[in-house]
Amino acid sequence: MRHLFLLAGLAAAPAFAQSSQGDVSVTIYNDNLALVQDVRQLDIAAGRSRVEFPDVSGQIRPETVSFAADDTGIVEQNFDYDLLTPGKLMEKAVGKTVTIVRFNPATGAEVREQAKILSTNGGAVLQIGNRIEVLRDDGLPVRVIFDQVPPNLRARPTLSVSVESKRAGLRPAALTYLTPGLGWRSDYVASFDETAGKIDVQGWITLTNTTGTTFTNADVVMVAGTPNQVNNGYRGGDYRSYEQQPRPTVRQAGTETSTRARLGDYYLYPLRERTTIANAQTKQVSFLDVQGAAARKAYELRFGWLDTAAEPRSADTVLKFANSRAGGLGDQLPAGTVRVYLKDARGQPQFIGENVIPHTPMGSELAIRTGAAFDVKGKAVVEKRERIEGPDRWRTTMRYTLTNARPEAVTVELVQSGLDWTWVDTRITSESQPSQRESSDAAIWRVTVPGNGETQVAAVFVTRY
Amino acid sequence: MRRAFLALAVLAAAPAAGQPLVVSPGPDAVSVTVYRDPDHDPGDPMNLDWLEGFALITETRTVRLPAGESVVRFEGVAGGIEPASAIAAGLPGGVDEKNRDARLISPGALVERSLGRRVHIRRTNPKTGAAIEEEAVIRSGPDGVILQTRDGFEALRCSGLPETLTFDGVPEDLSATPTLAVTTRSPEAATVTVKLSYLARQFDWEANYVAHVAEDGKTLDLFAWLTLANGNDESFVQAQTQAVAGTVNRDENAPEEPRAVSSPIEARCWPRGSTSDFPLINSLPPAVPGAPMEDSGDIIVTGSRIRRANLMSAMPVTVISAQQEELGDLKLYRIPEPVTVAAHAQKQVALLSRSKVPFERVYSVSLTAGEELDEPRGADILLRTKNVKGKNLGLPLPMGNVAVFEPAGGRMMLVGEAPMADSAVGQDVEILTGQSSDILAVQRRLGPCGSEDAAGCDDDADERALQKEYVVELSNARAQAVRVEVLLPLYRPWDMKRPSGKLVSRNGQRLWIARVPANGRARFRFLLRRDPPKKDDDES
Repeated sequence: MRHLFLLAGLAAAPAFAQSSQGDVSVTIYNDNLALVQDVRQLDIAAGRSRVEFPDVSGQIRPETVSFAADDTGIVEQNFDYDLLTPGKLMEKAVGKTVTIVRFNPATGAEVREQAKILSTNGGAVLQIGNRIEVLRDDGLPVRVIFDQVPPNLRARPTLSVSVESKRAGLRPAALTYLTPGLGWRSDYVASFDETAGKIDVQGWITLTNTTGTTFTNADVVMVAGTPNQVNNGYRGGDYRSYEQQPRPTVRQAGTETSTRARLGDYYLYPLRERTTIANAQTKQVSFLDVQGAAARKAYELRFGWLDTAAEPRSADTVLKFANSRAGGLGDQLPAGTVRVYLKDARGQPQFIGENVIPHTPMGSELAIRTGAAFDVKGKAVVEKRERIEGPDRWRTTMRYTLTNARPEAVTVELVQSGLDWTWVDTRITSESQPSQRESSDAAIWRVTVPGNGETQVAAVFVTRY
Repeated sequence: MRRAFLALAVLAAAPAAGQPLVVSPGPDAVSVTVYRDPDHDPGDPMNLDWLEGFALITETRTVRLPAGESVVRFEGVAGGIEPASAIAAGLPGGVDEKNRDARLISPGALVERSLGRRVHIRRTNPKTGAAIEEEAVIRSGPDGVILQTRDGFEALRCSGLPETLTFDGVPEDLSATPTLAVTTRSPEAATVTVKLSYLARQFDWEANYVAHVAEDGKTLDLFAWLTLANGNDESFVQAQTQAVAGTVNRDENAPEEPRAVSSPIEARCWPRGSTSDFPLINSLPPAVPGAPMEDSGDIIVTGSRIRRANLMSAMPVTVISAQQEELGDLKLYRIPEPVTVAAHAQKQVALLSRSKVPFERVYSVSLTAGEELDEPRGADILLRTKNVKGKNLGLPLPMGNVAVFEPAGGRMMLVGEAPMADSAVGQDVEILTGQSSDILAVQRRLGPCGSEDAAGCDDDADERALQKEYVVELSNARAQAVRVEVLLPLYRPWDMKRPSGKLVSRNGQRLWIARVPANGRARFRFLLRRDPPKKDDDES
C-alpha cells in the first residue's frame, strides 16, 4: 500500500518543471545588475502562512528581496541555502535509522537490514544490531534508503516569506529583488565612408543572462547610467601615469538633451515588446540607426618629453564625429564598444578597429582611436640640449620628421606632451610653424604632410630641467 | 556471541573511569543574540558561506543528574562554539571541568581505538556472494591496517577480495559531532534546569535599507530590514532573537580550538603493479538530475499595469518589527516573537520604518585644484538629509547598505545602492546613489602666461613659475538648471587667488557652488600662487 502511494507521488511530478514566474518585469543596468519584479498569483491562507518562491534568479541577492500583496503583512523573510546533497542527507540522518539493502552480485539476492547511523566523519559508521561497521568499506554494493528528506534541506537555495493575511484567497503578490548575472552593454557598428566624410552608425543593446534562470515573457527596460553599487571593487578612476594618458575619447562634453525617457540622470531603453530572456543567452536589440552623420579621419602622433624616437612611430588613426542634434548622431551614447568598418575596393565592408566610449551626453565631440596608421609615421629627435642663463634653465631643440607614404596629402596632429610639472613652467621660444597649447601639458602642431612626402617641424623649448 | 559481548564491555569500559554519563540531546528553549563582524565595513556584503560575526547563545536544558560526580554532555550546540566562553549555570554542584571533544566517531578512530583488540573481518566471495567472517586482532592502523588472523599477519584490503572490519562497539567518549561536556558533582539525584551560554562563530547580521523616493522627488520613505544569517549546521528553533549594533572589541589572537579529528580507514598496500597494468579511465558518476521543484499550482497571468505599479511602489508592510533597546554603549534590537534561526539560512525581519523624510538631491564633484582633467568626469549624485526628528528621522541607524528606488515609467527603479556607516542621532546622512553622465566636469590649465592668449604676457619666467591659472568647466546635458557642489582640495605650497566665483567653506573644505543653466555650461577660473621657493626647499 505504501509503495503504491509512493509511486503515485512520483508520477505526479512533472517531467519538466514549468516556470512559476508570473508577470515579470526586468530593469537591467550596465554593470551586471538587474532589478527583477515578479507579480505572481498566489493563494494565501488567512492568518500566518509561509510562501515559497521557486524560479527566482539563481544569483538572487536575498537581502534585497521585498514582497507585497493585498491585505498581507510580512512576518519574516527567509533564505535557506542548506542544500540537499548525498553527504548532507547522510549527515542529517546521524542518530536515525535507515534501511540498507545488500545486493549479492553473484546471485542477485537482496538482503534488507535496519541500520542506525552513528557518524559520518570520513565514512559512515553504522550500527547494525550490535555490530559496528563502515558503510561500503569493502566496496560491495549496498543501497541506503532514507525514509524522508530532512525538512531543512532543499534542492536549490530557497526564498520564502512568512506572511500574515487578513483573508484567504488568490491575489497578485509582487516580489522584487536585485540580482547580478544580468547586464547589458552597447555595441556600435560604424560604417565609415572616407571620401564622403560620413558615417552610418547602428547601436545595438547586447543583453546577457548568466543568472541560471530564464525570465519568461518579461517586460524589459535597460538603464544607461552609473548607479552606485556596493562591493563593486575599487571605483576610482584608473590610474595611468601622466605621460601615458591617451587623449580622451570625449573631446568636448555635450550639453544637449535627447527625447528619450529618463530616470533622474539615467536614460531608459525599454524594449517595445515582451521577451523571454533565456539563461545563458545573449540577446541583441537595435536602439540607434543613423545614416550619413558627418565624420572625418584624423592622424594623431604623440611624443612624451625628451622622447627620442629614432625608429619612425606610427600615427594613431582617429575617427572624429559628434553626437549633436545638428550634423551628428543626434542621441546620447550609452557606454560600449564602437567597431569601425570601411568599404574595401570591392565595396565589401572590412573591420578597421574598435574602441570603447564612456556614457556620452548628446552634443559631445568624440575621437575614437581605431588603430595605428601603416603609412603615416613620425620621428622625434632631441637635437640639442644646453644650459642657459637663469636658475636650472635649459634649452632643448627638438626636430620632428613626419612621413607620408600615401599618395594624397594628410594632416597630422603632432602632440608634444609632458611640458608641465608640478610648478615648473615650459615655453616654446621658437618653432617652424605655430603651435596651439591644448593644455599646459601639451602643444599641438597641425602638420600637413604632402602625398609620398615628408614634413619637418622644429621647436625650441625652455624648461627648468 | 559471547565474544562479542566481552569485547563490547571492554571497549565501553576503557575510557570513562566510573563517571556516569548524562546526555542532554537538545535545548528546551534558546536565545540567540547576533553580533556583527567587528571588522565588517559598510558596503561589504555578508558572505553567507563564511560569516565572520558571532552570536551569544543561551540554551535552557533539562538534565537528570545522578548523585555524585557525573559528566553532562550537551549535544546539538552550535558547531562554531567557542568552548572557552561557555558558562553552565544551574548545576547544583557547579562545574568542575569543561571539555569540548573534537575526537569524533570515524572509521579511522574505530581502528585506532581497537589497536590490539579483537575485531571481525568479513570477506565476501565474489563468485558466490557468500560472506565468511572470522576474528582478527588489529596490530597497526588506521593508515594501512595490519591484522593478525588465524593464518598469520595480513594487510587489510590488499587481498583483492572485498573485505571489511566490523566492530563490537563504539568507544563512549567519541561523539558524532564536536560536543561540549562538563563534569559536575551533584549532592543528590535531581532533575535540574541548566542555562548554558556560549559564544559561537559563523553568524552575522547587517541592516538593509530600502529608500523609496516619492513622486515629487522631495521626500523618501526609509525602511530597513534586520538581516541575520547562521552558517552553522545547527538550527535554533523558535529562538528569542536579538541583534547588537555597535562595535564590540574581540581578541583576534585567541588561540584556535583544535579542529575536529576524524579519518577514514586507508588501505596502504605493497606495490601491486603487474604485467597487465594499463591506465584506467576515470569514470565519473553520472550527473544526478535536479529534483523537480514542488508543483506550485496553476499560474494565472493577469495583473494590469496599474495594479502592478501599486504593488511595486508600496513599501514593505510588516507585521512584526524589531524593537530597539539601549545596551550600554551598544544598541540592541529585539525581535518581538520567537523565530527559527535555521542552519545555513538568512532571515530578515523589519528593523525600522520612517516615512516622508525630506531630502536634498545634490550633485557633487571633487577636483584637486591644479590637477588637469581632460576626460570628463561625471558628478556624483547624493541624497542628503540629517538624522534628526525634524526630518522624520532621529533614531540610531545601524550600518548597512541603502538601495534607493524612484518611480519612472510606472514602475519603481533602482537609482543606486550605497553603504552607510553606523549613524547616530544628529549626524548628517549622505547617500551616494550614482554618477551622472549628463553633468560632467573637466579642469584645464590656461595658457602659459596665465591667460588663454599669450599676448601681453609678462615674460618674467621666474614670476610665471610661481603662478598658474586654471579653469573648471561644468557641462549640463539636462533640460533643467542644476546646482553642483565642486570641492576643490588644494595642496601646499599652492594658494588659490582671484577665484572667478564665490567660494564657501564647509567642514573645512573649499567649495564652489555652481549653478549650471539647462543645456549649458558654467566656468570657474582661479589662479594658483606660491611663494618663491627658499634655498633649502629647492624645486626637487
